Amino acid sequence: MKEDVTQILNAIEHGDPEAPSRLLPLVYDELRSLAAIKMTRESAEQTLQPTALVHEAYLRLVGGNREAQWDNRGHFFAAAAESMRRILIEQARRRKTAKRGGDLVRRNLDVDDVALANSDHETLLALDEALNRLALVDPNLARLVELRYFTGLTIDETAKVLGVSPRTTKRNWAYARAWLRREMEESD
Amino acid sequence: MTERTIFLQALELSSADARGEYLTQACGNDDALRQAVDQLLDAHELPDNLLDRPVAVSASDQAGRTSEVNSVAIGTLGQPVGITESVGTEVGRYKLREQIGEGGFGLVFVAEQQYPVRRHVALKIIKPGMDSREVIGRFEAERQAVAVMNHPNIASVLDAGTTKSGRPYFVMELVRGVPITEFCQRRQLSLRARLELFTDVCHAVQHAHQKGVIHRDLKPSNILVTLHDVIPVVKVIDFGVAKAIGHRLTDRTVYTQFAAMIGTPLYMSPEQAEMSGLDVDTRSDIYGLGVLLYELLTGGTPFERERFNTASIDEVRRIIREEDPPKPSTRLTTLGASPSTHSDKRQCVPAELSFAVRGDLDWIVMKALEKDRSRRYESASAMAEDVKRFLSEQPIEARPPSRLYQLQKFAQRNKAAIVTASLLVAAMFLGTAISLWQAAVAVTERNEKDQALQKAVRLQREADQARLQIEQFAKRMKEANILVTSGRAHADAERWGAAYADFTAATRRQPNYYNAWSERASLQVRLGLWKLAADDYAQAIELGVPTDNPANWGIPQLFLFNGDLESFRAYCRDLINQSEQRSEGVSIAVIRSCVMSSERRFDVQTFATRMEEMIADFDRFPDARRHRFDRHDRHDDREDREKDASKPPSEEHLTAAKETPKKDRDLDRDRSAEPDQTASQPGQNDADSADAVSQKDDPDQPDESAKPPWYCVFYPRGAALYVAGLAHLRADHFKLAVKRLNESLDEVEWHGRSIAYPALAMAYHRAGETEKSRQALASAKAALDQWADEIYSSPVGRMPVMWIDWLEAQLLYREASILMTGFVPADDVRLRRVRQRAVSLLGERDFSSDEI
Repeated sequence: MKEDVTQILNAIEHGDPEAPSRLLPLVYDELRSLAAIKMTRESAEQTLQPTALVHEAYLRLVGGNREAQWDNRGHFFAAAAESMRRILIEQARRRKTAKRGGDLVRRNLDVDDVALANSDHETLLALDEALNRLALVDPNLARLVELRYFTGLTIDETAKVLGVSPRTTKRNWAYARAWLRREMEESD
Repeated sequence: MTERTIFLQALELSSADARGEYLTQACGNDDALRQAVDQLLDAHELPDNLLDRPVAVSASDQAGRTSEVNSVAIGTLGQPVGITESVGTEVGRYKLREQIGEGGFGLVFVAEQQYPVRRHVALKIIKPGMDSREVIGRFEAERQAVAVMNHPNIASVLDAGTTKSGRPYFVMELVRGVPITEFCQRRQLSLRARLELFTDVCHAVQHAHQKGVIHRDLKPSNILVTLHDVIPVVKVIDFGVAKAIGHRLTDRTVYTQFAAMIGTPLYMSPEQAEMSGLDVDTRSDIYGLGVLLYELLTGGTPFERERFNTASIDEVRRIIREEDPPKPSTRLTTLGASPSTHSDKRQCVPAELSFAVRGDLDWIVMKALEKDRSRRYESASAMAEDVKRFLSEQPIEARPPSRLYQLQKFAQRNKAAIVTASLLVAAMFLGTAISLWQAAVAVTERNEKDQALQKAVRLQREADQARLQIEQFAKRMKEANILVTSGRAHADAERWGAAYADFTAATRRQPNYYNAWSERASLQVRLGLWKLAADDYAQAIELGVPTDNPANWGIPQLFLFNGDLESFRAYCRDLINQSEQRSEGVSIAVIRSCVMSSERRFDVQTFATRMEEMIADFDRFPDARRHRFDRHDRHDDREDREKDASKPPSEEHLTAAKETPKKDRDLDRDRSAEPDQTASQPGQNDADSADAVSQKDDPDQPDESAKPPWYCVFYPRGAALYVAGLAHLRADHFKLAVKRLNESLDEVEWHGRSIAYPALAMAYHRAGETEKSRQALASAKAALDQWADEIYSSPVGRMPVMWIDWLEAQLLYREASILMTGFVPADDVRLRRVRQRAVSLLGERDFSSDEI
């Protein structure tokens, strides 16, 4: 497992066009199971920090290689951001359906129980849709938001992942942030 | 132009007029565009943007409950704090302009004050969950005190009140700065600059304390740094606020209140975490300062954020009250080793820090972080003083001010410095005395008055010059020290060239400073540049480098390896003399060095006997090495060592030494027993000896209370056996040598055990066992070959075994090869390449090939 992700990251580095698509499912699975573990093991009052989750996933999948470069990490974070988004959206959708159906089934704690307050599910789904529309305007802006919001990267870190300057990142962020807000207010 | 470019351009313009003007011009007649941009700009200004904090989620069982805990925890996705005020709202006589912050307590805005003066202020609205009247009441109670604070490093709290929706708010001087930790990180401030900023914080806190105001919530986000021109200025904000918001917690409210503070327990003092109602005093702020300094030095808080995030509230409180955090230097070392934090930019600190922090700064921080508040610094200014003392290289107050420590501190600066300085000081005093005397003579002998005065003036000038020289000397010393520290940091990071350059610069800056030479030597040793290392060590020895420091074990081997027999002999002789002066038995390390040469200059019989005694101790305490990380009282160790030296030969010792001529043995016993007789009370020695012997008679019943001697704890048994074997070889006890060397090869826990092969080959050879001797030599060659291969294929500076082991293996193999085959082994091409690679990394081109 460990070798796999490192190899894929290297393949991406060497320009293998197939590699990113192989990376995503691995990262997704890891994050999902990590989140589930956290939720069952730890106290309920605690909040789950996606940043911590993603960093932990990185350590588990790639290992503590000190020389790991940021570019190399960048691919990982991109995959992680997309995974986090998927996990949370899927789960918000399921919640919504469950609520509509009105059947509350008691299960063991699972990643599905990673929850946002009920109203937050709506917000998150709205954000997801707005993000999809933003991706049509400029896919890079959508990626930027994914990285910032779903993995909690700072402006500087995001800039490194996307390979643009922090200044540009900051400007793009301001635009994407306002754009999404406008979009979500309008669709309300 | 697209809405994007127009929007971004408009953001750059802060005044509303300029913005409007620009928009009109940029959008022209395109109303739709103008509307789109306006909407974007509105959206930009709206508070509580969902995206302002990354998504955070909590376990679902709790999600439905609308408790305080959860609304805080999930706050990032909802409307977080239930504050209805937003940009544009008027609060009292202030108009909210822009939201600049959000925390567990509420929201912070830039607000415009209309009268009596028009100005911008910071306005903090407290979130629901607190009784406004109480908050305001408590603030009013302290308002007087807060108002009299007047300090350049304190942002004043100007006003407090209640919003229309009933939330308390505070109005403060607007500080546009960044948290101090962020400032230091972004600019990669040097240690000195960080410490200077820190002392400013201390002075601000001290001022408040003198006015009777305790902050209670010191943390980086409350300590901002702004730039005045280019000078960074610290501003501590929120004085008086924490007391007004916080109140004594009852059990009922503990959990919600604590949850409300999530994000801050990292900076909370033990007495605050205890929530016992024990009143918080100025010493809680000292603790806060301690945490801050910790973070400035290491980039992390004493307890890790990660850990608090995942621990329950009770656990967090327990940790704060009971656990001792690692010392800053320890934290820096572990940080460097842990890649998870490596990626986190905030936690990178300049490499310079890690070494400088060890010692004094550790103590300063740990004193401020004492759990028992009476053991902390008495005041913020006392802490600032200590930091200043550190900066000016004076002994600090933290940690018990023992004389030894102060002396150590002084001696640290270097032997040469002390000698030179005392000479110069003496010269200065003499000069002054003479000039005074001259002046007196001048008064009585008026006819010589002018001449005498002239002389006095001249002498005074000389005294001044002497003082100047001392000052210059101290300055150069300091510079050399900084270079050495920086070189070490580079070496740790395997930046060999930079490390070498720093050490070299240090040797030039202060050629009398042995540390510079010995540090450069140890760098060269790591790179396998034996000749260069030996030269530098020779220099360091000349300047008085301490020989009993384990870092310097192996210097004789280095001399021997380079064929410098004279230095080898002199150094070994020195080591033996020192052991004798200290009335200690000769240590394993010393014996190890001395028996490395085949020439019998030293009393090898004694060495063999002494080694057998120590091996017997190893057998008595088979588990000693497990205690190696226990706390060891140095004083006791010393006593043990002395006792051991005085022990009469045991039975094992006698068997081991049966080939030893009796005269030698007695001599040995007499000499080692002598000092103890003077030191111990009459009769006691005999009792001890009887004890020791009876223990050895019955090895199945070791004395539980006896402590293993230090060498059993700190020295690998395998290495001791190897040294014993070598000692026997040199003393012509070939069978015993074979026995001990074979035993050492069986010590799988000893990593360097293969170095016993060449010695074993010689022992077999001398014992007449030709076949076995050939086999051992072949094993020796194979081991050397494998190591050479590993060294050749690894990056420069990585050795598979300790350098001393590697050096000895080569030395002894050379000796064995000459003894058994008559040939000197050929120079290994791989090792030559490795040396060339290392030299090229050092960036020096002036080494000729035989110098390396």
